[in-house]
Amino acid sequence: MQTLREFTRKTKRGNILKIVREHYLRDDIGCGSDLCQYCFQNEAYQLTSDHEIKSSLFKYPHYIVLDTNVVLDQIDVLEEDVFHNVIVLTTVLNEVKHKSSSIYKRLNEIIHDRTRNFYVFVNEHHKDTYADREPDETANDRNDRAIRLAAKWYDSHLQTSQESKVFQRSGRTATRVILLSDDAGNRAKAEAEGILVSTAADYVKSLEDFPLLVDKLSQKSFENEKQALPQYPPHLSMKELLEGFRQKKLLQGAFQASRENYLEGSVNVENYEKAILIQGRESLNRAVDGDLVAVELLPESEWSAPSEIVLEEKNVYADDVPSEDRVEQEKEMLQQLQTAPVAERTPTGRIVGIVRRKWRQYCGILQPSLIEDTTRHIFVPADRKIPRIRIETRQADKLQNQRIIVTIDSWPRNSRYPHGHFVRSLGPLGNMATENEVILLEHDVPHCKFSEEVLSFLPKMPWTITPEDYAKRVDLRDLYICSVDPPGCTDIDDALHCRELPNGNLEVGVHIADVSHFIRPSNALDKEAAARGTTVYLVGKRIDMVPELLSSNLCSLVGGVERFAFSCIWELDKEANVLAKRFHKSVIKSKRAMTYEEAQVLIDDSSKNDEITKSLRNLNRLAKILKKRRMDNGALVLASPEIRFQVDSETHEPLEVEAKQMRDTNSMVEEFMLLANITVAQHISNEFTECAVLRRHPKPPPTNFDPLVKAARYQGFEVSTETGLELSHSLDKCVKADNPYFNMMIRILTTRCMMQAVYFISGSLQKEEFFHYGLAAPIYTHFTSPIRRYSDIMVHRLLAASIGADSTYAQLLERKSNEEICNNLNYRHKMAQYAGRASVALNTHLFFRGKEEDEEGYVLFVRKNALQVLIPKYGLEGTLYLKSDKDGKDGLERTKSEVVFTFNEEDHTQRCGNVIFHSFDPVTVRLSLDSTNVQHEKLVFRLVKPYIKGFSVETTTEVDPEQPPAKKMNKQKKKK
Amino acid sequence: MAYVALSEAEKTFILHGVEVISSVPLFNSLFKVSLFLQEDFRCDGRSRRDYRPMELETGLVSNASGSARLRLANTDILVGVKTEIDVPNPLTPEFGKIEFFVDCSANATPEFEGRGGSDLAQELILSLQNAYESPLAFDYRTLCLIPGQQCWKLYIDILILECGGNLHDAVSLAAKAALYNTKLPRVTATLLDAGITDLIISDNPYDCTRIGTDAVPLLVTVCKIGDYCLVDPTAEEEVCSTVSMVVSVSMRNETPFLSGTHMTGGGSMHRDTMLNCIQLGLSMGEQLNKLLVKMLKAEETRVGPKRPKTVGFLK
Repeated sequence: MQTLREFTRKTKRGNILKIVREHYLRDDIGCGSDLCQYCFQNEAYQLTSDHEIKSSLFKYPHYIVLDTNVVLDQIDVLEEDVFHNVIVLTTVLNEVKHKSSSIYKRLNEIIHDRTRNFYVFVNEHHKDTYADREPDETANDRNDRAIRLAAKWYDSHLQTSQESKVFQRSGRTATRVILLSDDAGNRAKAEAEGILVSTAADYVKSLEDFPLLVDKLSQKSFENEKQALPQYPPHLSMKELLEGFRQKKLLQGAFQASRENYLEGSVNVENYEKAILIQGRESLNRAVDGDLVAVELLPESEWSAPSEIVLEEKNVYADDVPSEDRVEQEKEMLQQLQTAPVAERTPTGRIVGIVRRKWRQYCGILQPSLIEDTTRHIFVPADRKIPRIRIETRQADKLQNQRIIVTIDSWPRNSRYPHGHFVRSLGPLGNMATENEVILLEHDVPHCKFSEEVLSFLPKMPWTITPEDYAKRVDLRDLYICSVDPPGCTDIDDALHCRELPNGNLEVGVHIADVSHFIRPSNALDKEAAARGTTVYLVGKRIDMVPELLSSNLCSLVGGVERFAFSCIWELDKEANVLAKRFHKSVIKSKRAMTYEEAQVLIDDSSKNDEITKSLRNLNRLAKILKKRRMDNGALVLASPEIRFQVDSETHEPLEVEAKQMRDTNSMVEEFMLLANITVAQHISNEFTECAVLRRHPKPPPTNFDPLVKAARYQGFEVSTETGLELSHSLDKCVKADNPYFNMMIRILTTRCMMQAVYFISGSLQKEEFFHYGLAAPIYTHFTSPIRRYSDIMVHRLLAASIGADSTYAQLLERKSNEEICNNLNYRHKMAQYAGRASVALNTHLFFRGKEEDEEGYVLFVRKNALQVLIPKYGLEGTLYLKSDKDGKDGLERTKSEVVFTFNEEDHTQRCGNVIFHSFDPVTVRLSLDSTNVQHEKLVFRLVKPYIKGFSVETTTEVDPEQPPAKKMNKQKKKK
Repeated sequence: MAYVALSEAEKTFILHGVEVISSVPLFNSLFKVSLFLQEDFRCDGRSRRDYRPMELETGLVSNASGSARLRLANTDILVGVKTEIDVPNPLTPEFGKIEFFVDCSANATPEFEGRGGSDLAQELILSLQNAYESPLAFDYRTLCLIPGQQCWKLYIDILILECGGNLHDAVSLAAKAALYNTKLPRVTATLLDAGITDLIISDNPYDCTRIGTDAVPLLVTVCKIGDYCLVDPTAEEEVCSTVSMVVSVSMRNETPFLSGTHMTGGGSMHRDTMLNCIQLGLSMGEQLNKLLVKMLKAEETRVGPKRPKTVGFLK
């Protein structure tokens, strides 16, 4: 049977076309129920009588048909293993796919879980349930009708099956079909048509066995809410917005909430140099960080400047109506801003509509409620950019000291806060596993277990090397190959060898784990690895990019075992000039897996003289030449304070902190990896001019260096930033005899001026732009860590294809898809870095819990009201506030103590009496942890030396009660 | 034109059917009179002012915005109307556009194979363009969306499936039926900056506008055979004719107006004959138009706004 679907569509060029599609209706689509005696079932029954949901609303076995709005709003409920025997109509599936791809993905996962008994019924192609669009019927109405039609058909279809004598004799209650819909109109029509129907909320409440499921219901509106007055202006409709954009009355951009001030935010609009400032609750108009919003610019006379006040929302309670004085207070703040000097004013606007919400799930904690036994609570997200969220839960006592996840459902005009619902609990506060989970979630790191499908593409164990493998690969098992890595490393992806050739030259080989042999293009394993992009390292935890079997076993080049490798082999003369190079896949057997320290000991121990030691010494010598040559070319030596934690193996709590040590062997391995990367980059960019995966590091714009140049100038050094080479030379000259750490700090500052290095596809940029600024290399890529970086796998595939070692495939050369992968990799790398830092910060906090320590530090910057202090031992950076904020009681306290700091803008110094703070001056500070805010614990810096009476902490343990330490440390920032 | 081979005798036979006046003796009891009677009796039994039976079907090509198929005895025509957005001609900024295309299918006659039918097609296109040219005959303003910027352009694609004479009339009837059947998606315009506008189409496929077809002209071929004029010539009659006149008739306020004429065939015409031809054409056109509109309305009420169940010659 056939019917036609017609629709009109506008093409890009503005033409209007009538499009007609043939639509075939079938009579062989099964209903999927084991009760049915008529249908041809093309797969195993999905709707079985094994599962019965007990509902006080429908006291007989039933199947559930879902309306689209139920799926969209209540996906969290559906994900719970409660609903069984659910019929998912293709109409619903298509609508969900259209409206939200993330929910579609989640729904699909439920459907594919066969234990859940979700049956997809292809109602759009079933001859009895197809609904043709009627005249004067909207697309939505048609879909609703199709859903009702299918529900009705199912019910009567099952009735006829259950009328048989056999069934009646079995004495079972007849199974019915119920429709869940949150659309009142649809429900009314369904009832009129004789369909059993209920709202999702009523149904969930009627479930006898799962009383707690109610918490997960999406809250579009809270019941028996007193209809409060609207607190926000209404949002414009989509149509009005589109029209506004077209007429250029409105601007579109992503909203960024301010971290410091909850009443401020900004919107980045294309073609606008500065972000548009949004101030005040009404102007913010319910935008949440990340949302795509429509902004209306205010007239220039109403523009204002970003406030530099830190404004944190005070605790509020769920039933609290915003008090008059709070409103007053907010107004006052705005008034202050209005008077900002004209020069500082920036374009200011107000948000008039939301184009697309970017709501996700948020981590945070429940705010303790004042009222006992209430179900309404306020949720405080960990991310300060996110507003508090109202939720309803009956498990508040249980959740009180836990990190929980909450999602936003709606934000009605009359509610001060968005409404949301509880999703799940991550675990108790302060617990290492919980906190790690929070870090991963907040940085969007995919960290769930690898799915069965992904694991199915792993090689079967026990894995052996077949004779065919030997035939295809070069046998390097008898070479003296060894690997050098940090201690405790289990994913070893590189190994080295060096041997003397008869002609006096040296042969150096870099052997990289052949991950692309195991991960074949476009299978589920590959896709998962591409999505994850990189392995994420947290303190004491590693989130693998590929399953552990590969990362720690089959791919890892552990000592004494035969492994597949991708080898890059050079012939070098004694001066480290490359005479010849070749690439091939090989079988290697690493003689030894060493740590940096072990390798260093071997090199230094003159009594040793075996093959490995000899080759290490050769490598080390060559590496030094290579490094010098690189430096002469203008490569930068950058520094960032890095630390390692000694972690307790059981509690996972940090025991000790140490700064990372750099040994010769570190730089030895690094040099050869750089050489391999550059060699491979040259090769693949020659072979694939359009689609090679490369990495570039753009030269920063000159203005980026301003803080560095200024800071150095105060110290009497001139830093030239014209070229990398000049910068490198002038950095070398910044040495102060009395301050050994000075050069290091200058380099830390330089690092902050740099741009992010990014992956890209060679065809997308001009050759001149391939440059890697930091390494001073004209071309660069990542080849040496395929176990932990997906980019390296892509490079491996390109290289393998170019030397004929592996088969090619269509996607290999597809620029567009590769570019997309690169973008994802860049994002994942950035997030992985941030997650790593967040993890270090977390561990630093844990380390300082209950401790107070005096540490040597250096002043990194002198600011108007604070000193930025760096503690090299912990790689920590923090702010030592000199003046307290204007608002609040602290100001009074300070005036009492009469310690006044004068800021000299010319040479950036702070003076108090006869003590002067310059940048880079050594100081001693006392570190302690301020745990007053459980979510945002902060490290507090207090000055110890130089001693300023009335400001510094006393070095004696007893603090004079007469002189309260009037320091105020509001926040500490950590950047590394 | 499809060539029909006729012998002289056959031609004479046809000619006589049209014009020969024969004396028929009438006997009366009182006196004997012989009356001269005009025969007016064509080969298929029609008079000179009769059309052959027609079959009309609309909306059968689902891909087109409007379509019609007309079968006039052995003449078979299929017309599809496709729509497109275009920029109006700068000389007539408030007018939409119409473009005719005629395809003489080789199914109709083997002579059309290759470029064989192009002359005939060209002639049909010209006479249609001529008939539709006047803004009084076709209201081009209804096709305009934004004056000077955007308008509808209608492509009227005519496919000749079989040739049984009187192509002009059949083609114009089918074209008018197809235009009547045409549904344009409802378009609303929004003003952008600098006077540029953008179109928004309704997402409801049933939300359509129609084209005003009241004045759309019909072609009536008046064929001169011997001394007499007749309408709706068969292929055989066309061979016998020396000259024919195609009269295009447009209706306005229930009155037929002439919107164009066009001569075919090698012969010439006397002024009086020509006026007679035009008169005949106008009166025939009026009748045809009345019937056509009646039938189209009847068909529409039968089918309703929904798409008809596809039963028809294409299924």
